[in-house]
Amino acid sequence: MNANLAERWAELPDLLAGHVLLSLAAILVGLVISLPVGIHAASRPRLAGTVLNLASIIQTIPGLALLALMVPLLGGTIGYAPAFLALMLYSILPILRNTIVGLQGIDPVVRDAARGIGMTPREQLWRVELPLALPVIVAGLRTAVVWVVGAATLATPVGASSLGNYIFAGLQTRNWLSVLFGCLFAAGLAIALDQMIRLLEVAARERRRGLAGAVGIALVVLLTASVAPRFVSFDRIMAGGSGDPVRVGTDRLDDETIVVGAKAFTEQYILAALLDERLSAAGARVDRRDNLGSTIAFDALRTGEIDVYIDYSGTIWATVMNRPEPVNRHAMLAEMTGWLWAEHGILALGSLGFENAYGFAMARDRAEALGVGSLADLGPVSNGLTVGGDAEVFSRPEWVMTRDTYGLGGMQTRAMDAAFMYGAVRDGQVDMISAYTTDGRIAAFDLIVLDDPRSVLPPYDAVILLSPEAAANPALVGTLASLIGSIDDDAMREANRRVDLDRQTPAQAASWLADRIAAGETTQ
Amino acid sequence: MSEDTPAVLDVRDVRKTYAGGVEAVRGVSFSVARGRLLVLAGASGCGKTSLLKMINRLENSSGGSILFGGEDIAGLDPVALRRRIGWVMQGDGLFPHMSVRRNVGLIPQLAGQDAARVELRVREMLDLVRLDPGEFGERMPDELSGGQRQRVGFARALAGEPELVLMDEPFSALDPITRDGLQQDFRQLQADLGFAAVMVTHDMAEALIMAHDVAVMRAGRIVQQGTPRELMARPADDYVSGLLETPRRQVRAIAELTQ
Repeated sequence: MNANLAERWAELPDLLAGHVLLSLAAILVGLVISLPVGIHAASRPRLAGTVLNLASIIQTIPGLALLALMVPLLGGTIGYAPAFLALMLYSILPILRNTIVGLQGIDPVVRDAARGIGMTPREQLWRVELPLALPVIVAGLRTAVVWVVGAATLATPVGASSLGNYIFAGLQTRNWLSVLFGCLFAAGLAIALDQMIRLLEVAARERRRGLAGAVGIALVVLLTASVAPRFVSFDRIMAGGSGDPVRVGTDRLDDETIVVGAKAFTEQYILAALLDERLSAAGARVDRRDNLGSTIAFDALRTGEIDVYIDYSGTIWATVMNRPEPVNRHAMLAEMTGWLWAEHGILALGSLGFENAYGFAMARDRAEALGVGSLADLGPVSNGLTVGGDAEVFSRPEWVMTRDTYGLGGMQTRAMDAAFMYGAVRDGQVDMISAYTTDGRIAAFDLIVLDDPRSVLPPYDAVILLSPEAAANPALVGTLASLIGSIDDDAMREANRRVDLDRQTPAQAASWLADRIAAGETTQ
Repeated sequence: MSEDTPAVLDVRDVRKTYAGGVEAVRGVSFSVARGRLLVLAGASGCGKTSLLKMINRLENSSGGSILFGGEDIAGLDPVALRRRIGWVMQGDGLFPHMSVRRNVGLIPQLAGQDAARVELRVREMLDLVRLDPGEFGERMPDELSGGQRQRVGFARALAGEPELVLMDEPFSALDPITRDGLQQDFRQLQADLGFAAVMVTHDMAEALIMAHDVAVMRAGRIVQQGTPRELMARPADDYVSGLLETPRRQVRAIAELTQ
């Protein structure tokens, strides 16, 4: 088995358990809410119309947006809670709609008969109406299961682990095996649950106890198999922790759980793996939250949901501090550090030593053909050209200021996943992209980063950020302090290249980086 | 009806006005004794079905009173009342998701009888309506003919040992031969068990053949009430004469064939 496949297999128990726990809880709670509401509304046409409209509105919100909206609604909480809430809301419409339609579709003669022979309203509901509406209600439940199991893959950016981790991480690092893993297991899970519910309904309708028992057992086995590994390994860790003598050391983090966050791109995965390696070596249990949305990561740090992650000075400056005007590199670092501490109690431990700025890159031959070497050269010839960028860049002040300063308003913008940008500009599908200056593909694809003569683009020093709680942990601060100034631009670019082009895993690239840091330390 | 047989059902000046002011029933009185069948006959919309539904409180009356076993039904719990009254509907109204056995055993079961007694009752009822319990017990309603379904409908209505059976056009969906057989069987059942019954129909021939008493309704009122013989002898007005004309003409036509 190759390293990639082995790593994917190793991740499976955790991600599958997360996915199953998340989607099943969402469906069960959705069912418990929508079934009584549907029953109550079925005999009240006006109420039925209102609740169905409400549920439909929720349904029209795209899944990813609904998940992302839950984070601010829950006061910046990331992880299980917002994902659960969004998916639960998502499961309501199909169940609610089918409950109402199923009950309203019952032959009025049968309804009259139930009343006429002397059944109480409760008996009418349980013995006649629900059994007759059951096939329709179950069809709604099956729709909900397929939707929710699918949508649960979108829980990754809000920090809940699911099979979506495979897809998001795989997309960013162009690891198609990982993407395929996520898709296959999510689809397999949806199909398995859907068919089990179908068989349970058949068993109930045809009163086949044997079939019901067999499906019940299969369901329990599936759930146990997917959820148990998480608890078993948890128990083992607990037992190991209590059995060991307590070691005392200033830089030891024995049995402390440190939550490491990362945004959704290659460099972040590598740096998170590097932090993971350092913290694990110091004895900590590391809990990873990869693939967080950019502002979600900061909010999570502020509220203590994660303990540490790497951010960039220019990002904090523009999107968190809302400062429009760039200043020089050292002034920005100093002012940002003071501001974070004063406003949020967040500790900016220090710069890792490299800068990953936004820059605008073109294919060398294209730039030469246009006679463009800097953004100032581009302005006069930019009309009608296309600029590609990731989802967030075009709404960030960096682009707005670049566009306005250099007169690039005539360019067409095209948002795409960061993983595809470099290939797109190399192949001429777009004329320019918003590149990350440490990306290994700039050199590999023979791209040039255009000069910024008016210093519009702010500096982007990579900085270790610690939550207020983590900042008060001297062992943690001590462990990570050794990383300050340890990675230069070339080292980071090479590490990124290893993942993006050589198809190494982020953990492998992090090891390489760690070795290089260790070598650097010994030579100093 | 003689003084010494107290009425099972006594309907006194009952009225029904629907929201919007439509007067469906405008003061109707009649009574039905044990073992008797009263047929409410009349065209669609004359108020006969509304009247029937007021007797088991599927609808509430707007005026007058209805006594069941001497008690005013307004003071009775509707569910308890309905369990004492058999209910047979047009197009059978069987529960499509329940076998014949479960349909027939439903009322005894809801009344809290144990499984053995319910099973015994089901067999007894299916025998009464001349369906073999072994052959038909486990069938679903959609596996039966129309006549068989209506027999199950009767068995279900009678399983709770009702003092009164209400029937809304029970034979109208059946073919003539099945209908005739079922009508005969119903009269025999009533003679054997002795319950009182009220049947609604728009078929005058059916009313004349089956009823002990016929009440002809028109626009919410009873225009004539009497035995079939009295109706045939002295129709109260042109409307009743008109209703009787169809069966009369049929009888004459058939009689001519045998001459």
